[in-house]
Amino acid sequence: MAQVHIEDGMLVVEIEGLDKLWALKSRLEIPLVNVRGATADPGIVKEPKGVRAPGAHVPGVVTAGTFHIEGERVFWDVHDPTKAVVIELADERYARLVIQVADPDDTVTQVEHAITHR
Amino acid sequence: MGRPRTFDEAEVVRSAVDLFAGRAYDGISIDDLVTRLGVHRNSLYKTFGSKRGLYLTALRWHLQHQVRPLLAGIGESRDAAQALERALAGTDLGLFLLATVERAPVDPDVAGEINEVLTEFDAAVEGPDAPADSRLAGALTATILGLHLRARISADTDALRAGTALIDHIRDSR
Repeated sequence: MAQVHIEDGMLVVEIEGLDKLWALKSRLEIPLVNVRGATADPGIVKEPKGVRAPGAHVPGVVTAGTFHIEGERVFWDVHDPTKAVVIELADERYARLVIQVADPDDTVTQVEHAITHR
Repeated sequence: MGRPRTFDEAEVVRSAVDLFAGRAYDGISIDDLVTRLGVHRNSLYKTFGSKRGLYLTALRWHLQHQVRPLLAGIGESRDAAQALERALAGTDLGLFLLATVERAPVDPDVAGEINEVLTEFDAAVEGPDAPADSRLAGALTATILGLHLRARISADTDALRAGTALIDHIRDSR
């Protein structure tokens, strides 16, 4: 699970609980100008994720950490596919973040609103 | 970096217009978009940023290439009756209508685009040479949109017939 909030022009993603271990990350900060959008996407977990390095990938149980696919670096932290949100980035270490949040619709609205009014 | 785009972006946007015009925004998943538009998920995100990004791109394309040409035709009309005639001929305003009722109230960017076109709609209906009709502009725009709305659930001819009756009435009352 991850907590997402907006703070001083930054998108802040905080990884909670044991996922900090699997994902080897506890906090990501992205300037809003580098955030292109957010989408609730329960279907994305069925897509090929690419090669993991580093992090943990136990198919069907935990997908957390950095994955490399098609020349892009994608950060994953999803257990429950129905709560997956995709945050697309530009000019960042990660091309996109695929994270599990408590309320996907709320997170999407929050992020899209923030990048519209930045 | 990554693989070059292997899809025709304009074609994808046109298909997205049809898809978004036919179903509620929240009822369309990324799975639907990937399947119906024939674009890889990663390419979709890379190109449009988000589902909303694709929606806004599709809406802007629709307004620019399907709605505004109609307004140009209306604007060159002789009078209100001819403007109405042209406004009811053919063009599918599906996404414009759905965006107005569904997304504009909750998305300021959509509201901005829609309001701009509504203003242009009034101006086109008013016409440069018809100051006497200026108070009718808003009502005529509403009538045109209403008839297009009805045409979506009944045969086109019914809406056209209502439009024709109104045109005759306007002409007779001159």
